[in-house]
Amino acid sequence: MKRVPVSILIFGVSVLSTAPGFAQTLEDRIKILEDALKKQEETIREQKALIEELKTEMKQMQPPAPQAAAPPSEIPPPAGPAPTASALDQMQEKVQQLEDKVGEVVEAQKKDVVGIFNPAIGLVTETIFSYRSKGQQQTGSDRLGGWDVNLRTAELNLAGSVDPYARAYAVINASADAATGEATASVEEAAIQTTSLPWNLTLKAGRFFGEFGRLAYIHDHELPFVNRPLVLDEYIGGESRTDGAQLNYLFPIPHYVSLTAGVGDGFGSPQNNPGNFRGFGGLNFWGRASTYFDLTPDVSFEPGVSFLWNPTTLDRGGVLVQPDGSTLTERERRLLGTDLYLRYYPLRNNQFQSLTWGTEFLYSDNLYDVTAPDGSMSRNFIGSYGLYSYLAYKFHRQWTAGFLFQWLQNAQNKHDQTFSYSPYITWALSHWNQLRLQYTYTTHNAVSGLRDDNAVYLQWAWIIGSHAHGWQER
Amino acid sequence: MTAKRFRLLVIGLLAGGVWWGTTPAQAAKIRIVTTFTDLADFARALGGDKVEVNSLATGVEDSHGVPMKPSYVPMMNRADLLILVGLGCEHAFLPALIEASKNPRIQTDRPGYIDASKGIIPLGVPKTTDHYAGDVHPYGNPHYMLDPVRAKTAIQNIYNALVEFAPQFQGEFKRNRDAYLGTLDAKIAGWKQEAKSLAGVKFITYHEEFEYFAKSFGMEVFGTVELRPGIDPSPRHIEELIAGMKAEHVPIVVREPQFPERVPKRIAEETGATLVTLPIMPGGVPNTETYIKMLDYSIHTLVTAVQNRK
Repeated sequence: MKRVPVSILIFGVSVLSTAPGFAQTLEDRIKILEDALKKQEETIREQKALIEELKTEMKQMQPPAPQAAAPPSEIPPPAGPAPTASALDQMQEKVQQLEDKVGEVVEAQKKDVVGIFNPAIGLVTETIFSYRSKGQQQTGSDRLGGWDVNLRTAELNLAGSVDPYARAYAVINASADAATGEATASVEEAAIQTTSLPWNLTLKAGRFFGEFGRLAYIHDHELPFVNRPLVLDEYIGGESRTDGAQLNYLFPIPHYVSLTAGVGDGFGSPQNNPGNFRGFGGLNFWGRASTYFDLTPDVSFEPGVSFLWNPTTLDRGGVLVQPDGSTLTERERRLLGTDLYLRYYPLRNNQFQSLTWGTEFLYSDNLYDVTAPDGSMSRNFIGSYGLYSYLAYKFHRQWTAGFLFQWLQNAQNKHDQTFSYSPYITWALSHWNQLRLQYTYTTHNAVSGLRDDNAVYLQWAWIIGSHAHGWQER
Repeated sequence: MTAKRFRLLVIGLLAGGVWWGTTPAQAAKIRIVTTFTDLADFARALGGDKVEVNSLATGVEDSHGVPMKPSYVPMMNRADLLILVGLGCEHAFLPALIEASKNPRIQTDRPGYIDASKGIIPLGVPKTTDHYAGDVHPYGNPHYMLDPVRAKTAIQNIYNALVEFAPQFQGEFKRNRDAYLGTLDAKIAGWKQEAKSLAGVKFITYHEEFEYFAKSFGMEVFGTVELRPGIDPSPRHIEELIAGMKAEHVPIVVREPQFPERVPKRIAEETGATLVTLPIMPGGVPNTETYIKMLDYSIHTLVTAVQNRK
């Protein structure tokens, strides 16, 4: 059985080795730039030669030197008006202006060599002002109750081509710590993605957000509402961050069908605790299948199904103490999800009007070692459900109003249920500057021991520098 | 469905897909995907029955608002050539679609990636790409296709791409190109003649899409409804625009059909200008399915609007 993963690795390497190699060197890139610069210089030389030619012609057009006056009868009538001195001055001035512009173009082509190799760089920052009616311990939130200001995102994005065969990107994020307020930078994503694999394949490797569902791999500031859905926080642990590899396959058929499969160390949080040795079962495996339908030119439907499996969770999350005094230790992690995305996005004026309905429904079925209060031990699968569903109506280029409904069963106790209702409105002053006001009412049943909570959030997100429109923005 | 039937279905799908995916492109027609309908029109005119052309846009879209539909992906996956306007016009949707297509032939700067703007000297190259200037195009205004003279450069680029891809059909492509350019040159002469009454006429547009058109036909763009490219107008900007139009007697308000009518209509009413709706690509309004029909419509509409004011 252990030979299977090794043989898969060997097969994968042999497949990839038949694909075009990654052989272009820095010298090749410099050579390409030098050739381009030579062509530019040649063009400038040709333009300068043309200007000299024009100047020569102009000189030839200058009026002849004055001669002795001839008898009036011998002077033929002029064929037409000779160029005046002022007209020639104007022409010379225009030629000089043209020369100056050509010179500016030549200068503009000369770029700082260091700057030429800079990748696309952008910074996204997001601050959330909030008020929660209950304290942290009463709501179970990682943020304190009352008045709060949270620098949730200060994200530096870098992206560029590695070579003709791959692109790479990195996201360095600093979020303020809930307790101390200090923002510590960490690598949120740093991955390479192929661009030229055969057989409709794309391979991504490094640290990235694995493709599960629809919103798990979206950054916080890109969410259609303020906070990540409770079900994603509870069952995945926030964003689906992993260190691993993910392969995507596009079915070579006229209809869009996409398959993704990945393997990695960790998926979301908390991370596994492998100790001295991680067996193959300690890795996480995930996958997603999705398709798409144009119901009309303006209305589309995109469903998907996802799974996540961690055969041996290696003490992920530690020992979980339950309200009844029992303790749970996770041994195996299983998650299934269905995502549905229905959208009215009129072709003619989608910048000003659209309607989106998005829903994800998840089923968590983890295996736990259970120690009862009386000390007896058992091993059980605990199944729980959760979902979020939102409707967002864009009624103006700058304005979108929406409503988010959430329902969650605690992953360790399905009788512990939470409901949440969030109306919100978004004001996008521009493509890079956005404010969102959201009210959230969260209610728990008595099992959780938590209190109902009213919260108001004002989110302000802005972007400077480069900002790419990724596939997840569709 | 039983497990056995499911396996048979998957095998059948994969087998069919392998067949569909590996059918040599050149054994059939040259598969061309264009971003906009004007490029599609040119590609069909030049390629004749040797090409199968699909456009991502249908004609009614904002050139910066073409959706990233997954249904475009299989079409792009099979494309031999991808033709784009370039100059950053398609930055909002094309890079992600190209990546999702998984087609090595049409990745940026590959042989199948045809930038129709090659050789175009752009207008409005910004001094800065800082966002205070709005959503500027760093390489210059990309809406050159509304100038029929500059559009000829795009036509030549498409011709060059077709010849490079299928040199065995060069003779046919050349005949088609020459025939189309002959027709277009005759139309350009006619438009220039018809548009003489537009010389010096000032107008505003919603987005800065008609700069090249204005330059080509001697008109003058007085301003835009947008405060900056991609930035909605503020009330103050609208008031200043109205005041300026009154002072300068600007007679025409051009509204591109993908923008709402409310603000341009109000501006026209308050200034006494004539509101006209002009497409930015073929198919933007009815009866403009081809590039020539589109410019026929636009010039005739403007000339009529100006003449009716006299």
